[in-house]
Amino acid sequence: MASAGNKNINAKLVLLGDVGAGKSSLVLRFVKDQFVEFQESTIGAAFFSQTLAVNDATVKFEIWDTAGQERYHSLAPMYYRGAAAAIIVFDITNQASFERAKKWVQELQAQGNPNMVMALAGNKADLLDARKVSAEEAEQYAQENSLFFMETSAKTATNVKDIFYEIAKRLPRVQPAENPTGMVLPNGPAATAVNSSCCA
Amino acid sequence: MTTSDSSSSPSSSGTESADLNPSSDPGTNSERVQSQLESMNLSQPSEVSDGSHTDYGGGDDDAEEEEEVASANGNEGGVSNGISVREDGLAGASGEEEVEPSSSRAEHPVEMEAGEEPPSPTSSGYDGERGSSGGATSTYKADDASEDEIREANVDGDTASQHEAAWLPGKRHVDEDDASISWRKRKKHFFILSNSGKPIYSRYGDEHKLAGFSATLQAIISFVENGGDRVNLVKAGKHQVVFLVKGPIYLVCISCTDETYEYLRGQLDLLYGQMILILTKSIDRCFEKNAKFDMTPLLGGTEAVFSSLVHSFSWNPATFLHAYTCLPLPFALRQSTGSILQDVCASGVLFALLMCRHKVVSLSGAQKASLHPDDLLLLSNFVMSSESFRTSESFSPICLPRYNPQAFLHAYVHFFDDDTYVMLLTTRSDAFYHLKDCRIRIEAVLLKSNILSTVQRSIAEGGMRVEDLPIDRRLRQKPSSTSNQGQDTSGPERLRDVSVGTGGPFGLWHFMYRSIYLDQYISSEFSPPVTTHRQQKSLYRAYQKLYASMHEKGLGPHKTQYRRDENYSLLCWVTPDFELYAAFDPLADKAMAIKMCNQVCQRVKELENEVFLQGASPFSW
Repeated sequence: MASAGNKNINAKLVLLGDVGAGKSSLVLRFVKDQFVEFQESTIGAAFFSQTLAVNDATVKFEIWDTAGQERYHSLAPMYYRGAAAAIIVFDITNQASFERAKKWVQELQAQGNPNMVMALAGNKADLLDARKVSAEEAEQYAQENSLFFMETSAKTATNVKDIFYEIAKRLPRVQPAENPTGMVLPNGPAATAVNSSCCA
Repeated sequence: MTTSDSSSSPSSSGTESADLNPSSDPGTNSERVQSQLESMNLSQPSEVSDGSHTDYGGGDDDAEEEEEVASANGNEGGVSNGISVREDGLAGASGEEEVEPSSSRAEHPVEMEAGEEPPSPTSSGYDGERGSSGGATSTYKADDASEDEIREANVDGDTASQHEAAWLPGKRHVDEDDASISWRKRKKHFFILSNSGKPIYSRYGDEHKLAGFSATLQAIISFVENGGDRVNLVKAGKHQVVFLVKGPIYLVCISCTDETYEYLRGQLDLLYGQMILILTKSIDRCFEKNAKFDMTPLLGGTEAVFSSLVHSFSWNPATFLHAYTCLPLPFALRQSTGSILQDVCASGVLFALLMCRHKVVSLSGAQKASLHPDDLLLLSNFVMSSESFRTSESFSPICLPRYNPQAFLHAYVHFFDDDTYVMLLTTRSDAFYHLKDCRIRIEAVLLKSNILSTVQRSIAEGGMRVEDLPIDRRLRQKPSSTSNQGQDTSGPERLRDVSVGTGGPFGLWHFMYRSIYLDQYISSEFSPPVTTHRQQKSLYRAYQKLYASMHEKGLGPHKTQYRRDENYSLLCWVTPDFELYAAFDPLADKAMAIKMCNQVCQRVKELENEVFLQGASPFSW
């Protein structure tokens, strides 16, 4: 849940998507500005935090980079429950990963936080020659489902900062910082869990 | 038909393999390719009665000895049709990993030929059927070439840690299948398949292309099972085919590495445990619902975990000693680490472990919770082989097969540096932030006492060395009485026998000491002359034989054993408190070796507070 106060916003963000779509690569580019050509499969989920300054607010992202492997799918609710934002990642060179992304969107719409900021990332945008999913198709899907869409490349760093920045900008609009009573917490336990966090 | 016991008897070490490897004429190989036995010869040889197979007998006087099944009731599993065991040049001289110069190996291979499997209700339809796990395996292809190069370069690597490091993650040779010559030449194959014959894992090659081969393995197992029997081992020349059935999961090892049956079976057990660690035993239910369930997608991205485990069979003594080893550390440091881990466990964490590579720095468990050394081995293999744990903090479900094979635990993993990491295990899936808190507390203690740098120094320096063993002066005076090795007793303070070469005193090359009460072992670092990867592996294999023969059921407990072959003199000593395995120069004097072993035990006792984790003992069984 995003919690605001003194222009400091804590936001839990989850990355979902098919195996090999590039979730970890996006996060590593965003958090550490690193890129590895052969990123190994994520096990379970990896936790990162990163702070972004947006306009007059500071957004501290607590990022859950989930594993795309099938055996971890049943765990996903554990990570998107109470999340303020989600990035659903697909690989523009892989149609199946786009279909998988749509399934994640459906699941989030059905199960997730209704105010969640959702972004659709068409990753590997540097591999234009191998493109299988057109930008128009993805854009149209995103509009129909009220997500915002960006094509990213963790390899070249294109749009990586931007997509997180865009999420950060949208967060306060969903949960206005000036609301002193805070926001509705649809999911009590998960929100408490976030609040009890101690990460630096 | 012989109901065979594959293990070497204590006295026959060097010769055991020889009688299974009668000379054979290479010229007959091509004929053998043709000679497909319709009978698998699993039972009485008399069943091979079909006249059309006379070419099998020709030049194959060893046929009856070659194929043996060790089974509880071997003479009942008559096999009459269908499965063919074919012999041809399967085993080449140079396996990628097990390079051995022996040329005679090529002549005694066995291969399960997939072509003529019997019609079975379950075998239809998966030849060529492909699952959906494609992407994960293919990405590793690019690593193959470089990996082989590195491997060759490392053949003469020095230390155990290099040995450890020689392994590179990734599935190897995914382009191979059972039709590839290179695949057939591999010296040690591991397969996991379902009881409907679907491939789940293969050490080499693409599982999906091995569907036919898997179906053959399944047919062999189920054929024998239908006879009310169980197939444990098939011997064929130099090859052993070891089977392990775990409910709906079948595990098979085909090896010509001359390891003991017991150890190969133990390896299959660990392989199964590794799979349970990733998926839990509840996977069995998927097969109850759907016998043709394809499990490979569920194991996506874990090739590195399995290949690293298989690699550890050749360098990590924990895989056959069923004990763990600690990083040598000053007693006080281990104490203070232990107490913070204990605090953490008191706050609702089931197990808290601080590890450096595969060695334990300290560990603690909740009350009454005990961690089996095999679980520890599989857990550290899982974490060490998955690069993903190193990028950040991770939270992942894992199952400890010996603790509770049915349920997932949740593991928090964080690497403090390249080698040192903490693992916190809990039953609660929502405990991440609590575990993260715990990690921060642990880290504060480690930083305050400068423990991480001490750990780094210790792992760099290594453990005990045979060269450093103090020499009892009384011993130095004596060995002149034995002339065969010409020991020089007038050496310096630390006697290094020049004529015998190098190593420790009196030709001691290496030792392993296992404390039975603590479930821990300490192994000396490899020193010259046991320096190369191959020599180390060969020494471990000698130890494994020794271990198997000491622990053989039915022969009664052995207390000591001394055996000498052209490579080593090996001495093993088992007491209710400890087991000692020591390797000496083959020319070492037996009496001196025994005295040396006493010295080693005494030295280990002196150092026990530094080399063992005392008192924590969640390992209470």
